[in-house]
Order: sequence, then structure tokens, then C-alpha cells
Amino acid sequence: MNTVAEKTVGLTAGPRRELPITWQLSAHARRLATLAIAGLLFAVITRRAEFAGLAAPALLLLIGYRADRPSAIGAELATGAELMTEGEQGAVLLRLTGLDAAQARVRLRPAPWITGGDAELGADGWYRLPFVPHRWGIRPVGTIDVTMWDRWRLTECRLTVGVPSVTCHPRLAVLDSLVVLSKLPARLGEHTSRHPGEGIEFDGVRDFVPGDRQRRINWPATTRRGTLQLNVFTAERAQNVVVLIDVSTDVGEPGRSSADLAVRAAAGTAMRYLAARDRVAVISFGRKLQWIASATGRRQADRIMNLIMTAGTAAGQPLGGLSALPHSALPPGALVIVFSPLLSLRLVEALRELRERGFAVIVVDVLVAQPSGGAGRNRAITQLARRIWRMEQEAIRFSLRELGIPVVAWDGQAPLDEPLAPYTRRPWLTTELVNR
Amino acid sequence: MRNARSLIAVCLLEAAIVAWAALPAAGARPGAKPTLIAAVCCAVFGLAKLAASSTAVRATADQDRGLPEGKLFLSAPERMWQQAASALIAVPWPQLLIVAVIGLEALHPPAPWHTAVLGLVLLGYLAALQTAESGARLAMFAVQLPLIAAGIGLAAISVAAAALPASSTGSGSGWLAVLAAVAAILAAALALPV
Repeated sequence: MNTVAEKTVGLTAGPRRELPITWQLSAHARRLATLAIAGLLFAVITRRAEFAGLAAPALLLLIGYRADRPSAIGAELATGAELMTEGEQGAVLLRLTGLDAAQARVRLRPAPWITGGDAELGADGWYRLPFVPHRWGIRPVGTIDVTMWDRWRLTECRLTVGVPSVTCHPRLAVLDSLVVLSKLPARLGEHTSRHPGEGIEFDGVRDFVPGDRQRRINWPATTRRGTLQLNVFTAERAQNVVVLIDVSTDVGEPGRSSADLAVRAAAGTAMRYLAARDRVAVISFGRKLQWIASATGRRQADRIMNLIMTAGTAAGQPLGGLSALPHSALPPGALVIVFSPLLSLRLVEALRELRERGFAVIVVDVLVAQPSGGAGRNRAITQLARRIWRMEQEAIRFSLRELGIPVVAWDGQAPLDEPLAPYTRRPWLTTELVNR
Repeated sequence: MRNARSLIAVCLLEAAIVAWAALPAAGARPGAKPTLIAAVCCAVFGLAKLAASSTAVRATADQDRGLPEGKLFLSAPERMWQQAASALIAVPWPQLLIVAVIGLEALHPPAPWHTAVLGLVLLGYLAALQTAESGARLAMFAVQLPLIAAGIGLAAISVAAAALPASSTGSGSGWLAVLAAVAAILAAALALPV
């Protein structure tokens, strides 16, 4: 039974606001009133004075209803952080002022995928309501239920305060080692290339030529050979990486669905390559095609995260071939890392097209869900359909491998280094793939 | 833990008030048995409602962790069960229990001290119920102690008035005792500074 006045107020973090409140009889007061009225009624009906005595304490307790109560309270809301990561703890802060003698209980009613903790009242008068988001996205935190009582607990009022949404970034998949192409563009970076240059990786020695820097003379080799020998180092280059996220199909248990895994893996990979000073572009293959031109640096990381947060929405260009994308989104000679459940034949065709255009493509399969086995009379047909579906999936992966596109599976738990290990040990020879 | 203790206290006090109002079994007027059954039902449903409301917070939190989209359609038995449960929750069982218990007491031969004890246990029950519902401590009733003491004093006066032998055998003496008790209570209520 909820006959108490409940007022819903939408508050955004900011200055103190005055909220009018309406006090109503509490359940405790109604029970006391019942006891008092029933006692008096039975006293009159039965003409027994002891029933009037039974009503006496309840009647006296009810006189507290006359006490003054505030007609408005001040509410101030603040959020600890608007940007969060999955599994990270955040807090909503609420301060109520003007309560006078009234007491308040504050509770967070969390939205889906949010776990709320118990409210704690700090010495500064702020209620701290901890919460943990369990899934990436722009998530509403929920609402705060505020219940207030007077000091006699005879009246109460309820307020529901809406909390602003938080942006929850996906948990980054762990990737320590990088897939590096054997042929890198002429751009300064951190990857060792096969060409001699000004890096710090030793490549060999050669004869000294007038004009060479004397500090690079290799004196042991010079002594052995009798002529001046010079140390040669390899050049250090940056590579272009394109991270392609396929969120066109989202299958599996929420929280561990293919889109969840693709987004976490893509975010982790993009951040890792950006940390290595590489130029990273991101293409989101969802209901529409969204992309970010390749760039480096912190701002690019923010742009990528923003794109990932809106991946799968209706924003972007109509889905077509990836050939329509500009060079800035698909730089020639770039390494293309695809995170996909490979359920979209459109994407498979696009990958074929990319490979034919000479891109080095690697696919990380994020499909962990399996179709259910079925039950009852249709079980045999379901199992047959499942087998056919599996064979089709195997055929798709086989055809990609035949084209020179390696397909590795990631379960979402282990670091990405594990499936990518065969391609991270040494520079990846793209020409070798073309000749397969 | 404190919640469980409050629940146990409410349960014991409910059992105590129903049992006390039902005693003595002999000499009760007709209608005592149905009233007793009604009181027991009210006690059981009231307790179930209280237990359900105290676990509702945890259940909501658990649901929120799960799949956001629930079942779109419920089966007929599930729908009926939900409707029945919401109807049962909507009934004010504690109030009905209070009325049933006082009615049960009224169906028994007059015993002023017996009614006074029932009144005290009922007060304890209401305090325990409020504590269990709000999750607050019993100490919150500390400010009300003077009022409770005054109320108990008035109850004692009423019981004493009822226990005194009537000046006459007519109905007038009973009326007078009741009116005197009510007047004393109202006077106290108006005079007490709150």
C-alpha cells in the first residue's frame, strides 16, 4: 500500500534547488489512529471503560501530528565522475537542506546494469550513494528515493530524484604485444623497420663514407678489418592501423555479447596502438557506417571512445562497401584488425574487397554464443539446423583464410595477446599472404 | 541482521496479542471463534507482507543486474498470482489485526487488567512494526517516552475505574465510566505541550 505522496523530480548536477514537499499520514500514524478509534468505539459499544484506556496511549501519541514541518527542502546533486569504465565504482552525491527536525532516508534505485550500494551520510551533510555500472554505454544511473519523516514518525513524504546519466566506457581488452607489418610507411614512429635509419636498433656495419657521423664508428670492427667501419641502425616507423568493429549483429548473453566483446577488444587495441604512437583509424560497421580518420594522440583516443559509445546507433552513412571510405579512414598499406562475429555476409564481402585491394587484414572472431539445442519434437530438426549453421560458419572462416585473412577466436576473458600471438612475434609479411 | 531481529520481534508480538486476546477460551461469546480466525489470518498476511517488503530491495537489486528486458507476456496463472499478491499487499493487515484483536477481547467477559495488558502489548507491537518497516532503531521512540508514560497512566486510571464496583446495576454507571475515561484522555491530549 502506498498512499504516501510521491513526487518525482528530475535534478541535474548543479546548484541547490528548492523542492516543495507534501506531508501525509504515515503508516505508523494510521495504525495508531486505528487503535485509538477502535478502542474508543468498543468502549462506547460495550460500555467498558478499560477499552478507552487501551486507546489512551495511541491518542496521546497522535498529538505529535500538530508539530510544524518544513514545506520545502533544498536538494543539491553532484556526480563524482561523468566518465567511467565498466566495473569501476562511482558515486552520486546528494545534500538535503532545510529538513529541520525531520529525518530522511536516502536510497538509490539503480537502473538496469547498475548496482547500487548503501547511502552513507558524510560529516559535511552530503549523502554518498555508490554505484557500479556493469555494461558500457551511456547509462542512466537510476533514481534516488528520499523518504522523510517528522520526529514523531507520524507524517512522511517521499521524493524521487532523477540522476543524470553517466558515460560508461568499455573495459579495455588487454593487449601487450602488437601486430606490426613488415612494410611500414615513411613516418617516424616506434616500430623497427627493415630499412636503415636513425633508430636505436642495431642492424649491422658498413664502410665509412666521408660525411658520416664519427661517433657511429665501430672501433672493434675497424680494428679487425683495417678500414673504418660504421654502425648501421634500423629506421623506426609508425604504422597505420584501422580497427573495424562489427556491431551489425549482436548475439549472446548481454554483458558478454558479440557487440560487447567487439567493443572491448576494439577499444583495447586502438588504445594500445595509440600508446605506441601509431596512427589509428576506426570504422564502425553497424546499422550505419561510421568512421574516424587516422590520427595519433590523446584527442584521437577521445574521438575513438566517442565513436565506440555511439557504435550501433542509427548515426552515420548508409552501409555500403568499404571502398567508399576516404584514404584518411583507410590509409593505403594499413593493417586492418577486424572484431566481428562474422555473421554479416555484407561484412565478409567487404573484407574480401579489402584483401583484394592489398590490405593486410586480420579478423578476431568474437562469437562466443551458440544457438540453443532445442527440445521436444523439433529437437532433431534443430540439431540439424545447428550443424548446418556451424558448417556455414566454418565455410566462411575457411574462405577468409584462403584469401589470406587469418581468423582468430577471442573469448572475451583472456588477453588479446593469446589469439594474436602467431602474428605478434615477428613483423607480419603481407606479401606472403597475398601469394597464398 | 537487525531486520531479521525486528521481523522475529513482530512475529512474537503478533502471536502474543492474538493468544492474549483469545484467552480465556471459556466464557467467550458467540463470534469469538471467527474473530480469532480472522485475527490469525491478519497476523499471518501482515507478517508475510512485512517480510516481502524487507526483501524487496534486495530482489530489485538482483533483478537489475540481470537482463533488462523481461518477459513480455505472462501466462494466465502467473498473471493471476501477481494480481492476487498485489491485492494481498494492498490490504492494511496490521490495522485489521488491531480491530480483530480488540473485538476478540470485547467478546470475552470483562477483565480490565487483561485489557490493559493487551493494550501494552499492542503498543509494543506497533513500535516493533514501525521499527521493522523503517529500519530505524528503537531509540527513535525516546522522544515519545513522556507521552507513552502519560498514556499508560491514563490507561491505568481507566482500568481502575472499570475495576471499581459500579454504584448501581443500571447501564448509566458504565456509560459514566467510559465518558470519564474519554474526557480524561482528551484533556490530557489537549494539555500536553508538544
